[in-house]
Amino acid sequence: MRMRRHFHEEESGAIDLAPMLDFVMNLLIFFIITAVFTKELGLTVNRAGASGGESSGETSSVLVTVRGSGEIWIEDRIVDVRAVRANIERLHVQKPEAGVLLVADKDAEAGVLVQVIDQVREGGVQNISFAGTR
Amino acid sequence: MRSRRHTEEIGESGIDLAPMLDFVMNLLIFFIITTSFVREAGIVVSRPLAATAEHEESGNILIAVTAGGDIWMDRRQVDLREVRTNIERLHAERPDDTVVVVADKAARAGLIGEVMDEVQLGGIKQVAIGAASEGD
Repeated sequence: MRMRRHFHEEESGAIDLAPMLDFVMNLLIFFIITAVFTKELGLTVNRAGASGGESSGETSSVLVTVRGSGEIWIEDRIVDVRAVRANIERLHVQKPEAGVLLVADKDAEAGVLVQVIDQVREGGVQNISFAGTR
Repeated sequence: MRSRRHTEEIGESGIDLAPMLDFVMNLLIFFIITTSFVREAGIVVSRPLAATAEHEESGNILIAVTAGGDIWMDRRQVDLREVRTNIERLHAERPDDTVVVVADKAARAGLIGEVMDEVQLGGIKQVAIGAASEGD
């Protein structure tokens, strides 16, 4: 059987591509199965005051503070999380080039923090620096 | 039976596999190039929702921070002080990768800040905070 195929091959002069194709198909199936097309969702923020990182010398940034108790302060007023966006929009109109400096207490919840970042971004400010109280 | 049909069709044995092989090779190269090897954190946390969350193009290193203050990366639980050396290693392997810190809703902001500091000390400057879109 084997001998006959070999003989047949030499006679026709073509190389048998089937084994190579099998191999390539297997590789292909491996890569299709392991391929990950989902990209991570995230909010990119700068880290202010990182030890080793450079501190942004902007003095005109809007200060947003998140307390451990869940209170949110913009400059020197307590605001509700739903009012963050409106406040940021107003301040953004007044100072269009100003970024937001987000200061969070150590015990502040990440959920609140992300909500605030989200609202600030919806308010039109993309330049957010995240700092912790020390 | 089978060989006789071939003989009638092209006059010799076997179908010409070369065009199919070309096509399959192209597919293979496409999948090799587009495959991204994401470094999973190894733990599931409940992500906070955010409407403005964006897809991080090369956010391939995930660091999870749980509500209890545990840090997970590369499928292992690590100490805060180990984050930097791990990031240095991963950064050397694939310099284009960026980090997504996936924090639980109830995780503490202080710890997230410390993790972000360690990541930046490890050499990766671009750090994002993981979120989920309201759609999912």
